[in-house]
Amino acid sequence: MNKLYLWGIIITAAMLGATYVTVGYQKGGLNGDIVNMLAIAGAVALVIITMFVVIKYVRQMQTDQASGELADESWDNIGEYKNPVPFGWAIMFIGTMIWGMWYFTIGYPVNAFSQIGQYNEEVKEKDAEFEKKYANIKGEQLVNMGESVYLVECVACHGLNADGNNEVDAADLNQRISEKSIKYVINHGSNNKLLGTEMPMPDRNGLFNAETGALITDKEIDAVAKYVADGLKDANSAGAKVFANVCAACHGPDGKGMAYVAPDIATWNKQLVINVLDNGKKGVIGKMPAMDRLNPKQKEAIAAYVMSLSKGE
Amino acid sequence: MFHWLEKHPFFFAVGVFVVIAFAGLIEIVPNFAQASRPVIGTKPVTLLEQAGRDVYIKNSCNACHSQLIRPFKAETDRYGHYSLSGEYAYDRPFLWGSKRTGPDLMRVGNYRTTEWHENHMKDPKSVMPSSIMPGYPWMFKNSADIDTAYATQLTNAQFFGVPYNKPVPMKDGSTAVVKMADSVAGAHAMALAEAKEITSKMKDQNVKDAVARGEIPEIVALIAYLNSMK
Ligand code: HEC
Ligand code: HEC
Ligand code: HEC
Repeated sequence: MNKLYLWGIIITAAMLGATYVTVGYQKGGLNGDIVNMLAIAGAVALVIITMFVVIKYVRQMQTDQASGELADESWDNIGEYKNPVPFGWAIMFIGTMIWGMWYFTIGYPVNAFSQIGQYNEEVKEKDAEFEKKYANIKGEQLVNMGESVYLVECVACHGLNADGNNEVDAADLNQRISEKSIKYVINHGSNNKLLGTEMPMPDRNGLFNAETGALITDKEIDAVAKYVADGLKDANSAGAKVFANVCAACHGPDGKGMAYVAPDIATWNKQLVINVLDNGKKGVIGKMPAMDRLNPKQKEAIAAYVMSLSKGE
Repeated sequence: MFHWLEKHPFFFAVGVFVVIAFAGLIEIVPNFAQASRPVIGTKPVTLLEQAGRDVYIKNSCNACHSQLIRPFKAETDRYGHYSLSGEYAYDRPFLWGSKRTGPDLMRVGNYRTTEWHENHMKDPKSVMPSSIMPGYPWMFKNSADIDTAYATQLTNAQFFGVPYNKPVPMKDGSTAVVKMADSVAGAHAMALAEAKEITSKMKDQNVKDAVARGEIPEIVALIAYLNSMK
């Protein structure tokens, strides 16, 4: 046995031994896991095959004699034999060229990729999926979707309890409208496109009491604000009387609004919430930015969620 | 000729470099120039916004906030249209950032307001109970550096051709002109006028008083900058 084989056996044994030790002494070892066993079998095969191949070529280098016909050219005395290209290589070479042409022209044309194109495809696909999955949801599902959109888009201002952090950052959505907002609207008017189009409400200099024939007074404002904020329930209060005489002409006797004249101020409805989302809103608390990049279904869902918040009132 | 090149490996290497670099140049440069031209609707920052931008950099907001919306649906749903390279045409330096501890701010002006920023910058936890963003109460006391902002504006206008006092095209077909003052005194007056508009929507009495006295607290400049990010 010559030295080469001896070295081959020694190195193979050492590598197999190392494999055995690393695996065997690891916590759990092979663990009876089929994947681990396959990996080890692969490693053993790799070590043995590598050794065979290495020995073959090292031997060849040691013993081979060059033979064949020399080409005429010689570069700095380095000659070249006129051996034919191995057949397998030639086939692969030509095959690669053909594949390359196919790849660049048909398989994956050079100009076919654009980041934005990929983005557009993604959006189209996701929109279609959304449409298919959610087009017909209603009821509780819609409210749940509304809540999840709320938690992403609105929570920063309206807060986790939807109370606008006590109306410091935004409106309290657990009610239709707060007393301080109503007073502000009466004192300053309102021009927030709540009906979808420009349809302002006059300020106190344009609000007449039909009974007294005079402009609305501070006392009447306090009373009516309280009455509306409480949900227009207490029909015997002073506020109810003021409401009937000043506001009902536009907002309707029950405060539910009239189409093209004035919005519902008793409860939330879908269109009202959507109008706030589309146009934003300015009031006593501050400014709400328009949130018009939500899609129509999400807006509907948010409206359902907002309506569900104030249901208990 | 090629013989000569073969015998002079150094010049051969130079020749190879020139040939490849030239191919790169004609492929890359025109495309790049095209893409980095200002997008229609992109305006230079005003003086107060520039001062706010300096405050933003000074406080390393870009360590936690990016200004780059990638073209993924999840991002454009949340932040708005993906960023275009031309939108950074007047940004010097750009503030893309590389880490989002907080959300992207590229278009924060679309969905946050002066009032909200005031509460949030003073004490982020008061609006977002679980926020890990630090508060910046000193911005309500320290004055913004209008002189430096004005110097930056001048540099940008004179050396980098940023179009101040010139019409820039807007998305709706109109043009807008961002004014730059022609003297330091004029600059201060200009910044103050801008600041008054912001403080009219703010609550903090100390800030309002400071602006009434002619000072501009950092927070006012910062909010002007945040509002301008659309
Ligand atoms: C001339 C008709 C008219 C009268 C009278 C009127 N309103 Fe209004 N009101 C409107 C219109 C129109 C709007 C919607 C304005 C808008 O788009 O911002 C509105 C909006 C409101 C809002 C704001 C709702 C919101 O969500 O912000 C409140 C509150 C309100 N009215 C209360 C009253 C009260 C209380 C009275 C009686 C004192 C009254 N209105 C009298 C026409 C009227
Ligand atoms: C930048 C902060 C901010 C964000 C974000 C925000 N809002 Fe608002 N929102 C406000 C403020 C401030 C008001 C009160 C405006 C006023 O003073 O009347 C308000 C008012 C409203 C109102 C009207 C309340 C009323 O009584 O008339 C509705 C409805 C509403 N927001 C819904 C939403 C929804 C839904 C979202 C999320 C898609 C949202 N808001 C996101 C700040 C915000
Ligand atoms: C330690 C990291 C950190 C730093 C520094 C920081 N922020 Fe934030 N920021 C956050 C986190 C986290 C949020 C999300 C929670 C919240 O709204 O407070 C946030 C949210 C925000 C928002 C709201 C964005 C939105 O879409 O809701 C704004 C605006 C903002 N930061 C501005 C700033 C500015 C301006 C500075 C520099 C003065 C700054 N941040 C510095 C972490 C940071």
